Amino acid sequence: MSGKKFGGFLERTIFGTASLLREAVSVELVAARNGFLQRRDPRLKSLAAVLLLASVLMTKSSVVLSTLYAVILCLVVASEIGVFFFLGRTLFFVPIFSLFIVVPAIFDIVTPGEPIFSFTLFKVSLSITRQGLDSAAIFLLRVLDSVSIAVLLVLTTRQHVLLKTLRVFRVPQLFVMTMGMSYRYIFLFLDIIRNVFVAIRSRVGFISSTKEGRKIVTSTMAGLWLRSYRMQSQVYDAMLSRGYCGEAHTLDEFHARPLDLIIFFLALCALAGTLWFNRFFH
Amino acid sequence: MRARGNVMVQPIFSLRNVSYSYPGGIPALRDVSLDVPAGTRAAFIGANGTGKSTLLTLLDALIFADAGTVAAFGNELSDKSMCNPTIQREFRSRVGFVFQNPEIQLFCPTVQEDVAFGPLQFGVPQDEIRRRLDAAAARMRISHLLDRSPHQLSLGEKKKASIASVLVMEPEVLLLDEPTAGLDPQTSRDIIDVIEESHKAGKTVIMATHDLHIVEEIADVVHVFGAEKSIIRSGTAEEILTDGEFLQAHNLVHVHVHRHLGLKHTHPHDHVHNHAHPHTHDRQRDISSFR
Repeated sequence: MSGKKFGGFLERTIFGTASLLREAVSVELVAARNGFLQRRDPRLKSLAAVLLLASVLMTKSSVVLSTLYAVILCLVVASEIGVFFFLGRTLFFVPIFSLFIVVPAIFDIVTPGEPIFSFTLFKVSLSITRQGLDSAAIFLLRVLDSVSIAVLLVLTTRQHVLLKTLRVFRVPQLFVMTMGMSYRYIFLFLDIIRNVFVAIRSRVGFISSTKEGRKIVTSTMAGLWLRSYRMQSQVYDAMLSRGYCGEAHTLDEFHARPLDLIIFFLALCALAGTLWFNRFFH
Repeated sequence: MRARGNVMVQPIFSLRNVSYSYPGGIPALRDVSLDVPAGTRAAFIGANGTGKSTLLTLLDALIFADAGTVAAFGNELSDKSMCNPTIQREFRSRVGFVFQNPEIQLFCPTVQEDVAFGPLQFGVPQDEIRRRLDAAAARMRISHLLDRSPHQLSLGEKKKASIASVLVMEPEVLLLDEPTAGLDPQTSRDIIDVIEESHKAGKTVIMATHDLHIVEEIADVVHVFGAEKSIIRSGTAEEILTDGEFLQAHNLVHVHVHRHLGLKHTHPHDHVHNHAHPHTHDRQRDISSFR
């Protein structure tokens, strides 16, 4: 790593932590809006999302997947989320997850079938098959729907609430609480990291030696580890002081309304319908 | 024990020859003895590193004395006694500790969960928790912050949330470590008012502070800690705060230098309520201030 690159590393770390904080705040702001999905009970909403994900994975019909995607986009609008903001987040991941699988799948060597287009590449004869294109389209739609459901759930549920819904899936209370505390302190440590690197930049500015750069990074890591170690003991004291004695009790403020139950029932119907509909596909 | 009328009042805390050292043998407190009667307001003042915060931590039974005894509500506080869940629960519900660093006090993902944490551990019913939570939040004027994450708050808001998280437990004793450190004047005033109200409601208030301006208002008894990490003097706020030489000798005040209309002058820092300090002008006209 050259000195110049290390200087860039400082800038990138400062910029990266700042943008991560900004990102977290912007997601929280979306989740705090009074949209349709934001008002839903997070437990039933999470369960409904899991059921829909199961439907997406099981369905063999591109029509069902396309219809579901249209419903997701309607929910995006009803939840006061900008459509382009949402598409920017979801469409970015689809090629990453699917490209390497989809491209070989359209050729006859992976999916034999009725050839649509044939050509020769490096003396190897290849054909794109109709069956290959069909399965690629279904796969792409599955990825698109799955990513969209997951992103929609994250965007419409505040992060700490989302963690608490893990209790619905029988995750132990202590684990959920520890995750919540970790989530809370990540931001504190991000702030500390940013301040440390700003302080380094203000004192030493440009770092010319790679060795010196490594020394600064490792000492920063060690310093942060020591701080977190000291802090965990103090936080434990603060918990003890307020009555914690090994088994944590947390606030449970979930309220399910009839509409929440209806949405959960619809998701259940979607899964049952998918299983029934699959009987007609071979 | 002290007499109130014909009744002997049991001190809430009673310390006899208490010493404590940090790991590695670094002394933090040496031979401290004191009684804190119920309903009093006590302040620990002293320079940095004189053991004030350590003493508060001892009083909250988060650490235990290496030598001497600490008793609370008539029972000795020890590692062994606090291992008993009933004793621990009883003690924790009666003593609330506001840490100096709110980042430590606020460990939950939202302010609401933090404020409710204490009563939840004590098994207070949900309806009662909601009532107390709303009351504490309204008192500290943080109702609009309950859904926020602690990292989104200013220092003053964090401090208020920390105090609310202890008030909601409705403890008999409030331990406060530097409650007004680093806060703006209005937030400091709000916190002083809350401490005053708590005292009027019959709570015992014990605090460590550097802020001598607030001591006279919120403390009946002042214990001064010296560099030897022990109490070097105890008395009423007025007795201690009017002894400028004593305060200066123990790094609690400094000679004040400031300017009035271009005249630079010095005077000792005085913390009595009338703020009537003698001004010693050096008669050096600071011409630059007129430019």
